[in-house]
Order: sequence, then C-alpha cells, then structure tokens
Amino acid sequence: MSENIPTELVSNGGARRLEYDWYPGCIPANVRLGEHVYIDTSYGFAPFHSEHDTGLALGDASGAYDRTTFVVGPRGRIDVGAYTVLNGAYLVCNGRIEIGDHCLLAWGSVLTDTWPADAGSLPVALRREVLRAAAHEPTRSLPVFAEPRAVVLEDNVWVGFDAVILPGVRLGRGSVVGCKTIVAADVPPYAVVVGSPARVVRYLEADDTEEARARALREYAR
Amino acid sequence: MTTETRLFYKLEPGAKLPGDWFAGRIPLNVVAGEGTVIDSSFCFKHFYSAREAGLRVGRHTTIWRASLAADEGAVIEIGDYCYIANASLVCSERIRIGSRVLVAGGVTIADSDFHPLAPAARLADTVALSPVGDRKRRPAVETRPVVIEDDVWIGYNATILKGVTVGAGALVAPGALVVRDVPPGAEVAGNPAVVVSQ
Repeated sequence: MSENIPTELVSNGGARRLEYDWYPGCIPANVRLGEHVYIDTSYGFAPFHSEHDTGLALGDASGAYDRTTFVVGPRGRIDVGAYTVLNGAYLVCNGRIEIGDHCLLAWGSVLTDTWPADAGSLPVALRREVLRAAAHEPTRSLPVFAEPRAVVLEDNVWVGFDAVILPGVRLGRGSVVGCKTIVAADVPPYAVVVGSPARVVRYLEADDTEEARARALREYAR
Repeated sequence: MTTETRLFYKLEPGAKLPGDWFAGRIPLNVVAGEGTVIDSSFCFKHFYSAREAGLRVGRHTTIWRASLAADEGAVIEIGDYCYIANASLVCSERIRIGSRVLVAGGVTIADSDFHPLAPAARLADTVALSPVGDRKRRPAVETRPVVIEDDVWIGYNATILKGVTVGAGALVAPGALVVRDVPPGAEVAGNPAVVVSQ
C-alpha cells in the first residue's frame, strides 16, 4: 500500500477503505499500489471483478481521479505506469490493458479491449444471449461477448476527453489523441490523431528524452 | 472482489435503498417489472417527471450509474433485458427503448435541444433559467421523441439526438453522433453517423 494514502484495512480479505472516501466501497485486495499513488475514491472499483493475483497495478506516483472507473472481468488485468494521470477515464478490460509511464487520460475517455469489430461479429442471437446471461448474474456483469484484444498505451501518451480507444489498438510513445477521437487502428509514435475515424494530422518532435525526464523529475518533483 | 457495498437493488417505487451512498429515494411514479435493478437513487437526481408513470421499465433490466433526467411532462420507457450502464437519458417528452437493448458507458440519448435555436428566444431562456427568472415560463423548446427498437446495441460515448428512430437490431458504433434514423440491422459510425454496413 502506498505510504501516502490514509487507509484502514477492512476485514474482507485485505480490501482497503480510503478514510476520506465519500463512497462506501473499498479498494480490492488485488489492486497493487506503487509508492505515492493517489486515488480519489473507491467509486470506480465497484465493477472491478478481476480474479488475478494482481488485477490492477498502479505505478509510482500515478493517480486515479474523479470517476475513473475500472470495469474489469475475472480474466482482466490492467497495468498503469508511473506518473500517469487517470482523470475520469473509463477502462473496460476482460484481457489486458497496458498503460505506460507519464500518460494523461482525460474525462470521459474510454479504453476497451472488448467490443465487436463490426455488426457481423455480433449477431442478434449472441446479443440476446449476452443480455440474458448478465440479467441472471448476481453482479450483473456482462459476459465476455467478443474476444478481448489487448490495448497498449506506450509512455507519454495523451488521450483527450471523450475519446474511445478500441480493442487491439497500440498508441505509440508520445502520441496524442484529440478529444472525441475514435481510434480503431494503431497510432505511430509522436503522431497527433483526430476525428472519427481517426487520422494523423501531424507528428511531434520526439524530444522526451531520458535527459528531459531526469530534468523534469529534478525540477518539478517536491 | 467483494466490497461492503451492494451493487444493485430492486427498482421499487418510493423505495429508500439501504446503504445507498446518495440520500435519495426512487420516485413514486416509476413502474418496474420483476428482476429489474438499479445501483443508486442518484440515477433520479434530475428526474422531475410528474406523469403517472414517468419511468416504465420491463423485466430483468439493469440500470447502473445512469442519469435518468426527465422534465415534468416526460415519459421514459425501457423494455425487458436491457442494460443501461453509465449513460445519460435526457428526456423532455418521450424516449422509448425496446427490449434487449445495450446502452454502453458514456452514451447520451436526448429528445430535445435543451434551448431554443432562435437568438431572441434563446436570450429569453437565459433569463427564465437565471436565479431571478421564472422557470415555469420558459420559451418553447423543440422536442421530438426518440425510439430505440429491440436488440439495438449502442457503443461507448455515442450520442442519439432528438427525433431519431434506431431500427431493430442496429449497431451504433462507439462515438457515433446519430441525427437521422438508422435502418433496422444497419451499423452506423462517425460524426454525423453514416451507415457503414447493412
């Protein structure tokens, strides 16, 4: 557990309660927190059902703010890197989501590893089966209705508000996804993409060197 | 993982949900069938419908972190086996959702434009809505009912605007902004949404 979050252990298997939390929930025991992690509230952990030993790892000095939500199925596992800011993001994971260091995810952004590629892969008979199964499941979780395909955000990626990152997508280092952009294909490093479907509008200078990172930590950390 | 909180409660008119984090109640003018559940009374924070059944829901439907915003004269209808997760329904007149409809996270469905288009009327609306204004006498706002037919799935962050009918079995892609009717069985995507497959 991070040194900096005031928490108290509750009796149910190592789940932790945030002392300042307005929501009467817990951070599940299989959420691993690095040093100096900050979490606003357990509100976003209500749909977290991962059965992995570590279902979510939040890297050193990362933060999960506001209504950042982790909709994670039994087989889902999410890794979040150091200094990454999850500011109201919505993460849907039944397989694997990897987020690198120094990423920024804005409010309303969605990362999902489970959504059909097209209507043909989601016939009406399957849709009916999925909703029937969810309705008779105590947690009302949706069963996995499409083969999960990993979503990967390399280091220093910025995802704007209300953007959607679809299954199988890799966002290259330093790339930027504009607000409300729908990303269905890989984005090259340092590209800026906007629109629906997403298109590259420019490339940024790759100036986020190891030296730039060391300087930032020296100058901007307390 | 188990937490101390209950995820879902039976949707019952007038109920105070035990352990609900929000200190509200389910409105009295809600009709819901067997097996239909909701996570919190917070879903009704903006529910002002004064109709006899302002919200009518069928059986075995799941409503989770949805905003059911309804004006005084509004009626929201939702069928059986629907799954409404983290979405906003903003209703001035009528939003009708069929059976076996999935509404994914971040979706907005609205049957009005919220304010008049014409500049003078819009200016008047800011006065009526202001702290010194009379909200009961706002200038008229155009509303047109929204219909989502059976077996439709609506992807993350999609938006369905007033007057739209989404035909049975259609798929609305994530992020689509739908301003025109969607034929049954079609897939639509983009802003504005266009048919990408039939």
